[in-house]
Amino acid sequence: MTNRRRVLPALALVLTLCCALQPVWGQNGSANSISIPFETYKLPNGLTVILSVDHAVPTVAVNVWYHVGSKNEMPGRTGFAHLFEHVMFTGSGHIPYGTHDKLTEGVGGSNNGSTTNDRTNYYETIPSNYLESALWLESDRMGFLLDTLDLEKLNAQREVVKNERRQSYDNQPYGRVSEILAAAMYPKGHPYSWPVIGSMTDLSEASQEDVKAFFRLYYAPNNATLGVVGDFDPVIAKKLIARYFTDLPQGKTVERPSVALGKLEMSKRLVYEDAVQVPRLYIQWPTVGFKRDDDYPLSVMSSILSGSRTARLTKALVYDSQLASQVGAFQNSAEDVGVFQVTVVPRPEHTLTELEAAVDQVIQKFIAEGPTAEELQKAKSGLELSFLRGLESNLGKANQLISGSMFYGNPGQFRTDYQKTLAVTAADVKRVAAMYLVRSRIVLSVVPKGKKDKASKAPESETVTMLPATPGGRS
Amino acid sequence: MNRQRPHIAFATALLITLASVASLAQQPLDRTKAPTPGANPKLTVPAWTTQQLSNGATLIVSQRRGLPLVSFNITLVGGSNQFEPAGKRGVAALTASMLTEGTKSKTGDQLSDALQLLGTNINAGVGGEEGSIGFVSTRKNFDATLAILADMMLNSTFPADALDRLRARTLVNLTQAKDQPVAIGGQVFAKILYGADHPYGQRTTEASVKAITRDDVVAFSKTYFQPGRAIITVVGDVTPLSAKASVEKGLAAWTKGGEKPAFDYTKLPELQTAKIYLVDKPGAAQSVFNIGLPGPPRNTPDYFAIQVMNTILGGMFQSRLNANIREQKGYSYGVNSGFTYGKGPGAFRAGGSIFSGKTDAALVEFMKELNGIVGERPITDEEIKVAKDSLIQSLPQRFASVNATSNAITSLVVQGLPNDYYQTYANNIAAVTKEDLMRVAKRYVDIKHLAIVIVGDRAKIEEPLKATGIAPITHIDIEGNPVSGGSAPSSSN
Repeated sequence: MTNRRRVLPALALVLTLCCALQPVWGQNGSANSISIPFETYKLPNGLTVILSVDHAVPTVAVNVWYHVGSKNEMPGRTGFAHLFEHVMFTGSGHIPYGTHDKLTEGVGGSNNGSTTNDRTNYYETIPSNYLESALWLESDRMGFLLDTLDLEKLNAQREVVKNERRQSYDNQPYGRVSEILAAAMYPKGHPYSWPVIGSMTDLSEASQEDVKAFFRLYYAPNNATLGVVGDFDPVIAKKLIARYFTDLPQGKTVERPSVALGKLEMSKRLVYEDAVQVPRLYIQWPTVGFKRDDDYPLSVMSSILSGSRTARLTKALVYDSQLASQVGAFQNSAEDVGVFQVTVVPRPEHTLTELEAAVDQVIQKFIAEGPTAEELQKAKSGLELSFLRGLESNLGKANQLISGSMFYGNPGQFRTDYQKTLAVTAADVKRVAAMYLVRSRIVLSVVPKGKKDKASKAPESETVTMLPATPGGRS
Repeated sequence: MNRQRPHIAFATALLITLASVASLAQQPLDRTKAPTPGANPKLTVPAWTTQQLSNGATLIVSQRRGLPLVSFNITLVGGSNQFEPAGKRGVAALTASMLTEGTKSKTGDQLSDALQLLGTNINAGVGGEEGSIGFVSTRKNFDATLAILADMMLNSTFPADALDRLRARTLVNLTQAKDQPVAIGGQVFAKILYGADHPYGQRTTEASVKAITRDDVVAFSKTYFQPGRAIITVVGDVTPLSAKASVEKGLAAWTKGGEKPAFDYTKLPELQTAKIYLVDKPGAAQSVFNIGLPGPPRNTPDYFAIQVMNTILGGMFQSRLNANIREQKGYSYGVNSGFTYGKGPGAFRAGGSIFSGKTDAALVEFMKELNGIVGERPITDEEIKVAKDSLIQSLPQRFASVNATSNAITSLVVQGLPNDYYQTYANNIAAVTKEDLMRVAKRYVDIKHLAIVIVGDRAKIEEPLKATGIAPITHIDIEGNPVSGGSAPSSSN
């Protein structure tokens, strides 16, 4: 995920390494108690609206999701969804540059946007008396962004994005791993094969008309969901939403072609030389996206394998054999595809070859015996608390409701997700382990420059030299 | 579960606003006009009680209705700067990590399993001037989690093999930090500003970590975790009475001892005339900037004026620095400025990561904005208004969760600020004058004595930086020590 503003490097590291990244779902301890009160409706132009009132703090989150991400881009024209995330803050038809920040951050609120493979979102949290301002801002950029989008603005934001890329990928140890893995996991031209930030060559070469056509198709009300969560009066909010959004014209229907799951004909063994001193090992298996039910046991499995000191991989590699200084395992799922990833940081005296064997040993044993009842219980015990803590943030609630609405047509999907997670059995977890963790996989060794021999099974590893400037697999 | 909210206030608000909606619907929409906001919402600062426990600790309780959550935190006044012996930097952090490694009655694995089953996690950490151990739990698991916390804090056995494992992990982390230009920049900047003798200039090193023994850890733990310097903060679904009962019972074995330390820091090194300190990072795509000098402690009477001044200079997205260097020039993904506040002379720092090819141009712009704020570009009334609004109206966010509320209240006690700090905050910010802003800018953004630390590809950036003529260049290594010779490397890879 990339952001308009900065993500703390420390956070980025944690995400790469050790988090069992849960999908965005509602979580709770007892089926009856999970609740986010909300109402939802559609405007005649197709805009989906979700309202949820919470007067705890005198602030409101206004959050607009567009169902467009990097996977909607065309090979040769990648990076557009994320580029718009930047352009959308540079003013629109009736609103000059700078006003957006002034009416959000400048009144004690905040704003940001984020882009994933599947969707882009734009949000602001504001003091509750600025709700109308936020709706004015969001409606103007939804309806009138292109009125004032010229080459100068476009070029300025292209430069900012290039700097974002330098900071978050190129100047970051291990920063290119995610794009190396995506390019290796999916065939050339597959919608998930290029990074969300896109190719800088594509961005440079894109014409103004290319960019505008992309906007016209994907940023129309019928491809968007507006969430308003926090301290407001729903009667007034509905009137204001009607006032600012009703006259925006409906766009063309967006086609959603089916996307093939990742599948490797043969396992791939790669080595990448980076400006690092400590090598790392990444193992990735193709799995399923978050709309498939196997995503639930795969996510539960991730917290049985890593995250706590008694998790299987952590206990074996970090505590018992002490081959590794850190280990992480997580199911990383998107709308159409998913991968299960294991990341290991070795202790200096141990090799990546040893680590790979140790990981495999743990996983083979796990496939054979499945989880214990207690492991399953531990993996689910934190759900209630994390659900409750999620309720403390208006923005977090908005994201949950909108995500459910956009991907499942049901803002209350968090309840289903919760129930399906609690219903995961030991047999389910054993089944997905035996089904997915035996597949052809990618093993990527990141090693210091000039130290290719430090790769796991170095002689069999293919060198990743330079990534293609245009999207597509290295195949 | 439902969030319980008062309905009466809501109904009144509805009546008033329905009237305004009726009039609103009749006006044609003019999209060029920004909507007029209503009156600012009234800030409700949570109430809290303060009690003294028999062991000397201070107990703060703030009841928060709605969700069945409790935030529990023990804050210890004083940190690694006050309690770590010389040459043993890192013992505080290692001790905090060691608390999870086993107690007289439970192994580390058993502690971990128990917490997982309670669905929560206990976090312990020691910073430069304070430390903490705490958790957020559901109401029903509060007492059980507190019992585990007490066991960890009071009965840890500090096994030697666990220390070796944690030491090894710390060493790997230190090695990884050497590849991280942002981490290097921060470390070197501190070393330049404060020198090796001032705690603010010191850090955990390979040598200090290797020197730490199990005895050091045990001694640190005994000395440090004492109720006489503790502030216990409980926020959430509790009453002052029930919280006190839980804490008295849960921490019954924590007996009297310790006191708040003095914060006597050694004198700062003499301020140097402005210099560029260049750390070579061959092949770097970006140059990491840290520009600044030591500043005032948190209790400075200039605090509010500094906050407004810095918000204008580099505290927001549209502040002068980011508006120019990111948005207008496109040299960076983001730059900012800020003051670090503590008991001692925390730093003023402006910086960010800059495209290597624009290192010199960016430095020119940084200097333009720093010179601007001290007088070359007068601060406008509009800038002052936006900065003040932003600061005042962001206050409710500090009470947005049980944890945020706990931090907001605890920091008042740690920093010795008045109990009505949040109630008077808006007035204090509003009272800042343009003259105040000029005065604090000149005093704390001391142009003549800025340390300009740049981590980047020397072969590419040295000559252009020299050509700016802004300040002489000194070469230093990633530890902040001068590089002998100082001749340019032959190539970068």
